[in-house]
Amino acid sequence: MKKTINLILRHVLLAFLAFIWLIPIVWLLVTSFSAYTGMNTSTFFPEEWSAVNYKNLLFSADSVAQFPNWFKNTFIIACFTCVISTIFVLMVAYATSCMRFKMRKPLMNVGVILNLFPGVLSMIAVYFILRTLDLTNTHLGLILVYSAGAGLGYLIAKGFFDTIPTSLREAAYLDGASEATIFWKVVIPMSRPIIVYTVISSFLVPWMDFVYAKMMLNSGISSQWTVAIGLYNMLDKSLINTYFTQFCAGGVLVSIPISALFVIMQKFYVEGVTGGSVKG
Amino acid sequence: MSQVKKGLQAFFGAVGSFFKEFGQAAAKGDLFVKLSLIWMGAGYIRRKQFVKGILMTIFEVAVIWYTLGFAMEYVPKFSTLGTVQQESVFNIATMQTEFNDYDHSFMILLFSLISFVVWAIFAVVYLYNIVAVYRLQKRAEAGLHINTFKEDMKEYINKKFYVTLLALPVTGIVVFTVIPLLVLILVAFTNYDQQHMPPSSLFTWVGFENFKSLFSSGGLTITFGYAFGKILVWTLVWAVFATITTYIGGILLSMLINSKKTKLPKLWRTLFVITIAVPQFVSLLLVRNFFANNGIFNTFCASIGLTDWFRDIGLISTSYIPFLSANGWAHVMIILINIWIGVPYQMLIATGVLMNIPTEQLESARIDGATPRQTFIHITMPYVLFVTGPTLVTDFVKNINNFNVIYLLTDGVFVTTDQLMANSQAKETDLLITWLFNLTQNYYNFKMASTIGIVVFVICAVFTLIAFSRFLKGDREEAFR
Amino acid sequence: MKKLVALLMTMSMAVSLAACGNSDTQENTGNVAETSQAQESSSAEASTSVEAPAEKQDVSLTMWGAEEEQAMLQSMIDSFKEHYADYANFDIQLGVESESTAKDTILTDVEAAADVYAFASDQLIDLVKAGALLSIDSMDEALQAYAGKSVADVESANATGSVEAATYEDTLYAFPMSADNGYFLYYDSSVLTEEDVASWDSLLAAADAAGKKVAMTLASGWYNASFFYGAGFTTGLNDDGSTSIDWNGTADVSGVEVVQAMLDITGNSAFLAVADGDISNQIASGTLCAAVSGTWDATAAQEAFGDGYAATKLPTFTVGEQQIQQGSVAGFKLVGVNAYSQNAGWAALLADWITNEENQAIRFEQREIGPSNNNVAASDAVMSNVAIAALSEQSAYGVVQVVGGNYWDPTATFGEMIAQGSLNRDDAAAIQEALDTLVEGVSAPTQ
Repeated sequence: MKKTINLILRHVLLAFLAFIWLIPIVWLLVTSFSAYTGMNTSTFFPEEWSAVNYKNLLFSADSVAQFPNWFKNTFIIACFTCVISTIFVLMVAYATSCMRFKMRKPLMNVGVILNLFPGVLSMIAVYFILRTLDLTNTHLGLILVYSAGAGLGYLIAKGFFDTIPTSLREAAYLDGASEATIFWKVVIPMSRPIIVYTVISSFLVPWMDFVYAKMMLNSGISSQWTVAIGLYNMLDKSLINTYFTQFCAGGVLVSIPISALFVIMQKFYVEGVTGGSVKG
Repeated sequence: MSQVKKGLQAFFGAVGSFFKEFGQAAAKGDLFVKLSLIWMGAGYIRRKQFVKGILMTIFEVAVIWYTLGFAMEYVPKFSTLGTVQQESVFNIATMQTEFNDYDHSFMILLFSLISFVVWAIFAVVYLYNIVAVYRLQKRAEAGLHINTFKEDMKEYINKKFYVTLLALPVTGIVVFTVIPLLVLILVAFTNYDQQHMPPSSLFTWVGFENFKSLFSSGGLTITFGYAFGKILVWTLVWAVFATITTYIGGILLSMLINSKKTKLPKLWRTLFVITIAVPQFVSLLLVRNFFANNGIFNTFCASIGLTDWFRDIGLISTSYIPFLSANGWAHVMIILINIWIGVPYQMLIATGVLMNIPTEQLESARIDGATPRQTFIHITMPYVLFVTGPTLVTDFVKNINNFNVIYLLTDGVFVTTDQLMANSQAKETDLLITWLFNLTQNYYNFKMASTIGIVVFVICAVFTLIAFSRFLKGDREEAFR
Repeated sequence: MKKLVALLMTMSMAVSLAACGNSDTQENTGNVAETSQAQESSSAEASTSVEAPAEKQDVSLTMWGAEEEQAMLQSMIDSFKEHYADYANFDIQLGVESESTAKDTILTDVEAAADVYAFASDQLIDLVKAGALLSIDSMDEALQAYAGKSVADVESANATGSVEAATYEDTLYAFPMSADNGYFLYYDSSVLTEEDVASWDSLLAAADAAGKKVAMTLASGWYNASFFYGAGFTTGLNDDGSTSIDWNGTADVSGVEVVQAMLDITGNSAFLAVADGDISNQIASGTLCAAVSGTWDATAAQEAFGDGYAATKLPTFTVGEQQIQQGSVAGFKLVGVNAYSQNAGWAALLADWITNEENQAIRFEQREIGPSNNNVAASDAVMSNVAIAALSEQSAYGVVQVVGGNYWDPTATFGEMIAQGSLNRDDAAAIQEALDTLVEGVSAPTQ
């Protein structure tokens, strides 16, 4: 009897928590289907339902809402960013975890220190470096901004590599394999979780960032924007009343592929995070 | 401390012996080693390492070319950061504006710095080059085998594979992280602000003036010191609460979900994970409108009478509940909303950790007749703490610099009622990082922002160093192999 | 042996930097050569002034305008190209930049900003100080040669206030585009009568009786200054860029009395203080019967008030026995030319084009934006527009707000203190102290 009550309580608690956690998400979803374009402040559910926001967003681009373009831009940037970042992270992680060299410890300490600096401040310097290279207002520039410093985020991957038994590598070494071969043929195949983890987390960056993107893409050509700038821009004082529900619809559309990615990769993600965080 | 001392000793020892070897090479080297002092490729060519010799020569020429063609335009002006003010004349015939060759202080700062980095790298390569060439000479004299270029290259996928691996990532970090950081540090010693904005006007060095005005609260009207103190306290309080609440919340939630008694753990987990999938700027802006003064939640509270009740007991004096717009309320709400944001992440991490608990221990505890509560307190909790302890430290640092949550929730919503704060363009809910973002974006006060940035960094660094030495005694790298 | 890392790094960096440095210089010299060539070729024709040149110049320009106006601006650009097709080949690119945030984007990197951009008049001083605006006076010759009008003509064609707002230290820095960036009172005439909206006292009493609310933004120095301006207080700019402000002293009445009058208003339960930018939401929510806002909310107000939609000047407020007319900030939208624009002459002509009489008329027709041009403003269609009529009625009490960067945060805080009631109406000493702190913060030297 006591057990059943316990069981029920447990699930009621979970359901309650899930309810709280999902309220904003549900609000996002229902608002995106509202026929009224501004913000709804009196009722949770829209008074009139309509899919017109999605239709406008996807099929009738104006200068404010060019969602298909933004989505494409962000997707391309995200793909390149995640490939480059993942490669960088794995390279640094392997070098610091599996190899021993004089500068290893000092380099790692420098890495820790660099991570502590507030990034938004150095934005202006990054901007001028890119401008000198004539890379502002290009997607290549943004890809560089997102991925060039990715090597600094190697710690979790390194933690994961640390758990790979040394004996495996030594055996391969005795067989005459070079370090490069070991990296490709032994370590990488074993690291699926951490690769997935890195891919997901770096894939997300361009979808989330509105600060850097806004600064780098400053030509005012809205078809060049990323989803984040475009959606953020819709909340401008003069636009919010016409575009708030489209903003919500955009938010939903962005989160669909990301949640799909998360749900599919959940298992690897969990393994990846833990494998890495074991050693911090 | 002794560790630091040892490290320093080792470092200077290494530097010393390196220079000794360099001196030897320069003194005792043969003609080609000496020639390498001028022509970097000479020594290699003498030993028939032609490719290496050519690469070195190209490198040397490139640096010289860079220096003469580019660096010399900027570096000589580094001490003044430019003297030529921008002037322009309109030419009616061409309908164009013609500019003089004006100085851009920020560009001078940036390119001088880049040049210094390039030259520093060149100097190191140069010194190493002489030593390497001298070593080659000694090998040749001893009749030892001298590597061909192919053999050299093979090294880079083998023993020196780390060099290959690190080359690109480190370059990226230097260009996009290190150099911007150095620029930021230098800006703190200049008067780069709204009155001195390039390209139309120049800025210059001012020494430690900015640090003085940050730490003197007796300043006439600029109450930076006052605002700094208040914001620093809230930054630390926020970081502690944000870290601990999401950490504990995440562990509790994952235990609830992963317990054997819970049905459908995957479904539950997915429900919580969905909140991560919505980009933060969408979900946070939405939540902020949800809790707005005239937002939906206030409508709800008013309709169930909560607002009136709060007013009756004197908790609020307004006709709405100022969730995100009043001091105190906003602070609590920000931490609560952060729990909403952060717990699912921590839950994922904790799930992984809990799955990996060594089962033998749990088993033996059960056999010994321990209650579930005892098992939890004596086995599960210590294990989880041990494994995730280090992430607490990194989370704490991340929260100190947690720009998104604070900026998205309070920008344009929270208006401070503390006049002294307002006079420094600050508000009570600002973290140091959002304050300095505001200073640069809206007030172009780069000098103070950089100064604050340095202080934030020092705080983070001190904390991390202490925490890491506590949490990570010794090197744990090998512990699990 | 970190040699190779280091080597590769320096190589790649040195090469790329050197390469770009080089291309830079090449570009520069190229430009110079081009310019001098162009000079030579055109100086020969300079005598014939506006005759179409034998060889047409290639002119590329960029322009920024508000999101909502893109289509309209594009058609204006097209007509500009057509009109001047004889003189040059134009390549004009139109970008999006909200007029209210133009300054932030432009000042980040003036050299990369558009040649021509629209902005709200309160940003003028910051833009001028940062050297981001070209003096229009220096373009007089170009305007006379190609557009057939002088700067003086531009000044006399537009409302005095708009010219004043576009002028800094006797130099015109931008072309006035519209005169709609001010605020007045929208009300629901089915709830309130014309007598009701004459003063805050009667307005709030009538609203209270009807169970509706009156909304105004207080936490912004743009709105709350209206009470002080109404009572004769001023703001201004000192030579060192700091703001001069006298609100803690006495004008027609004392500053304390103005604050007390404001507290009387905010203390009324029918008054609703709204966050900056949230007013349109409030109007749309249907709980209001009157709101202080500008033409940008005309549609929202029309929808919410239906047949009762009406607008008028701001009400008077009570100080002691006296009724004082609430002032306001007269705001304008301006179009400026980037001081770093290569083709400054044509940029100025484009800026003139999109703000000239015909295009202001088009702007009103398409978007109901109040014109700054005197002739357009005097047209019947404009005169009969409810919101614009109210705005011009209020403009008699409007002040062109001249303030520095340190004005905004302290005044926003001051407004919020009044809105939240954290000042006690009867504690004159505390109010005076708050005013003193406000003045101190606002007049602090700019950093």
